[in-house]
Amino acid sequence: MWRSSSPKALSSLFRRVPRGLNGVARVGRRQVYILPTRSGLSFAAVLLVMLLGSLNFQNNLGLLFTFFLASVGLVAMHHTWFNLLGISIRVRGGPPVFAGGEASFDVVIGSDGQRTRFDIRVPARRVSQQSIAVPGGDQRTIRVGLPAARRGLQALDELTVETRYPLHLFRAWCYAETDATTLVYPKPAEQAPEPDRAAGDNQRCALQGRLGTDDYLGPRAYRNGDSPRQIDWKAFARERGLVVKQFGGEEGEDVWIDWSKVTAPDAEARISLLTRQLLDAGEARARFGLRLPGIEEGLGRGRAHLQRCLARLALYDHAQANDPLDRAS
Amino acid sequence: MPKRTTPSIERPERTQVLWLTLLLLAAYVPLAPHLAWQISAFVALLFALRIAAIRWPALIPGAWGLVVLTLIGVANALSTYEGWSGQSAGAALFVSMLVLKLMELRRKEDLRLATTLIGFLAVVQFLFDQSPWLAVYLGAVAVAGLALLVDLNGGLGDTPGRAAMGIAVRVSVQAIPLTLVLFLLFPRLSAPLWHLGTDPRKGTTGISDTLEPGAISELVLNGELAFRVRFETPPPDANQLYWRGPVLWQTDGRRWSAGAEAMAAGPAGALQDASRPIRYELTLEPTDQRWLFALDRPVSVPEGAFLTPDHRLLARHPISTPRRYRMLSALRYRTALPDRAGREAGLQIPDNVTHRMRRLAEDWRSQADNDWDLVELGLRFFNREAFHYTLLAPRLGPNPADEFLFETRRGFCEHYASSFAILMRLAGIPSRVVLGYLGGEPNPVGGYHMVWQSDAHAWVEVLIEDRGWVRVDPTAAVDPSRVDNGSASRMLGSGASVRFTLEQNDAIARLARNLRLLADSLDAAWQDWVLGFSMEDQLSLLKWLRLGGAREYGLAALLLVAFSLTLSIVLLVSLRDRPRVDPLEAEYARLCRRLARVGLERRPNEGPWNYGSRVRAQRPDLAPTVDRFLRLYVPARYGRGCDPEIHRALMSLVRGFRPGVDKGARPDC
Repeated sequence: MWRSSSPKALSSLFRRVPRGLNGVARVGRRQVYILPTRSGLSFAAVLLVMLLGSLNFQNNLGLLFTFFLASVGLVAMHHTWFNLLGISIRVRGGPPVFAGGEASFDVVIGSDGQRTRFDIRVPARRVSQQSIAVPGGDQRTIRVGLPAARRGLQALDELTVETRYPLHLFRAWCYAETDATTLVYPKPAEQAPEPDRAAGDNQRCALQGRLGTDDYLGPRAYRNGDSPRQIDWKAFARERGLVVKQFGGEEGEDVWIDWSKVTAPDAEARISLLTRQLLDAGEARARFGLRLPGIEEGLGRGRAHLQRCLARLALYDHAQANDPLDRAS
Repeated sequence: MPKRTTPSIERPERTQVLWLTLLLLAAYVPLAPHLAWQISAFVALLFALRIAAIRWPALIPGAWGLVVLTLIGVANALSTYEGWSGQSAGAALFVSMLVLKLMELRRKEDLRLATTLIGFLAVVQFLFDQSPWLAVYLGAVAVAGLALLVDLNGGLGDTPGRAAMGIAVRVSVQAIPLTLVLFLLFPRLSAPLWHLGTDPRKGTTGISDTLEPGAISELVLNGELAFRVRFETPPPDANQLYWRGPVLWQTDGRRWSAGAEAMAAGPAGALQDASRPIRYELTLEPTDQRWLFALDRPVSVPEGAFLTPDHRLLARHPISTPRRYRMLSALRYRTALPDRAGREAGLQIPDNVTHRMRRLAEDWRSQADNDWDLVELGLRFFNREAFHYTLLAPRLGPNPADEFLFETRRGFCEHYASSFAILMRLAGIPSRVVLGYLGGEPNPVGGYHMVWQSDAHAWVEVLIEDRGWVRVDPTAAVDPSRVDNGSASRMLGSGASVRFTLEQNDAIARLARNLRLLADSLDAAWQDWVLGFSMEDQLSLLKWLRLGGAREYGLAALLLVAFSLTLSIVLLVSLRDRPRVDPLEAEYARLCRRLARVGLERRPNEGPWNYGSRVRAQRPDLAPTVDRFLRLYVPARYGRGCDPEIHRALMSLVRGFRPGVDKGARPDC
């Protein structure tokens, strides 16, 4: 009941688990919060009735039993707290998604000591809750989903890790800082006009592009993101360096996907159309390139190239007309 | 109300529902004999429905069905017990509603609540039965309930069932020290705050406050314990152990009762010449009556009780739980003489006295010089004539005293006491009948005496002018050859009774008797240390700790201190997470410590091999051991993984490694 309704102003008062230099947040003593759950409160109420009844009837056995359950509750409370203490939390961004989908993050929970940490949960709005046990000296991953509304880098600033181990009488939780991001591609438009062809006639492309034969096109130098299957390992063994064998059907079928060639009411709609064009081009196995104001991604083919182009679009800042990736490098 | 969907993690599993059902059944079974059969019938119906519904979920009744079932349950409990009041009625209602909850287990939250209420069910049962077996049994049920709670919480990895059981046991064990501290030091109430109404108790046996022919001979067949006595001074002979209970003044010739006069509260006449008092502690089983038994004449009065003019001890409330009290009693004494009213009450004569009874009394009166002579004549009469002492007394008609004295002459103590008292009154000597117990079986294992219901007895007290009230036991006057031992040992077993000589030659019987003594000692310890533990014991514990002056505040302070201390110890010992240390690395660290002691500290930047070669260079004498260690350690640690064989070899190497300081060349570091 305290989980969802804590307002932002209040939640800013809670201490966060800081991230270490290696990106791992380790839960310390002063960052673990604990409160009774609804079951815990009803357990306490039943115990109170038992206590009063036993005291009144001077029933020592009833008292003994009540004290036993009360002690169990108290020990359990400490178990709950200690269950969270000292775990390590590392968050990784998941694979890129399109806007409107769900950005996923991998939360890696590690238990460094000897004890198994039971019932660790990372409550998230969308994903059905999952409860895991982390054996001592090991780590386990929980995947958390977050609705990805806009393109760009979706950050998971903060994350709650909680436990109700062992008896569900108390809930202990902590807030962990993260800097994990997941790349969100722009939402593709439903339909987009055909992009311009750089060379060759459109007719031939339309005919053969669908056929998509796997003819050997020739070698090319390796680029990051190329599939290991395409690497010419024999050439590598002859110490000629990493060379990629290019396959593809159509020669001279180069498509430029160009910012200036698309008409749209605003920049986001334009990006959305461009995304659709990129996806179509990728599906048609054409060679394609991307031109944005101030940025050009050369002609290429394959998933890695498509992803690179999509990333350009995802991070494209129209107002500044420059590319954060470039700025970063 | 819109129907909310239950998230899958909150939906209970089938095995969990089954587990809860079985637990509840297990917790109910010991309670069943204490409740009426109608309650058990209702509960059994619901259990059957629940178990069938695990297979066919459609059997679970809907909202209206639940309402109907609830009404049936309430009506059933109310009509069976004719109202709300009383512990049985309350327990019946609670159980009916709790089992009804089984029909409504949509979310895990419901299961949690039901599991918690099983604990309440256990406490309710202790109102009916407090045996150690029940406590152990319900304790096991409680631990299983905790395991269910753990399992309901989930997140237990691959073997949830086993993990849940292990966690529940661990938590329970850790809770035990805290439980003991709380039990020992938590303040108790000295008087109840409220009453749940009177419970018509069936089957509480013991002496009642009236006496009719056959009452005691029926009671002695009951094998239950009446009370235990621990003598602090040397115990008197068994035939002197008269435990006084109710005193009966009034009779209609068949039935003796207390009489209004005796109930009138007043100062108890002080005993005169009471010498050499006997000191003892008595633990009385619950009787639901107010009287406290005491050896002959009580000299002291325990707390919460008072002494009546006829020297009965009465508690202020009925004894519904075992009651322990310390007493001083006198066996030799002289009571004060009663006033006129008391004397007249002791001379009241029933209407149905016959002519031959009157003649017998007048005959004694004419022969006797004084009152005591007359009493002795009466006793001699019982001894001389063919009176038989037997458990199998013939049924008597409307005038039992006459019939017994002149026709049947076979009877048990109530026949003797009743007719003797009437005869004394006819002869002009005030007399009254006293009910209680005679004797006590010593328990050498536990160091106390056990007094059983089979020791129930009735005797007479007569008023002698210069001696006060004097005890006379007409039963003891019966000639021993006319005591019917055979039927007694057949009906009483081998219990030791002062009045009968029971055979105990059989080895098996002796063994059985010893086992019985041992079992009773355990039971007595349970009574003393668990059931009978009271505020007084807490205060004496406090006194023993030299904190007696602080009383309740001291107790509260001690509770706080002891509780936090115990909790910290439990946490420190069992909850701290120790860092995971590779066993091989631990051995290496120990080797490094040994070497550091002789000045060969490992530098932070040194790996095992570099360190080893430095040691070899500086201390060639240590080289063989260090080399052997490293040749085993390095491949195992960084290569194949830990092999227990290697670990053991490393351990023995390090253990035998005691480098001495090299006097020659000081290391240069």
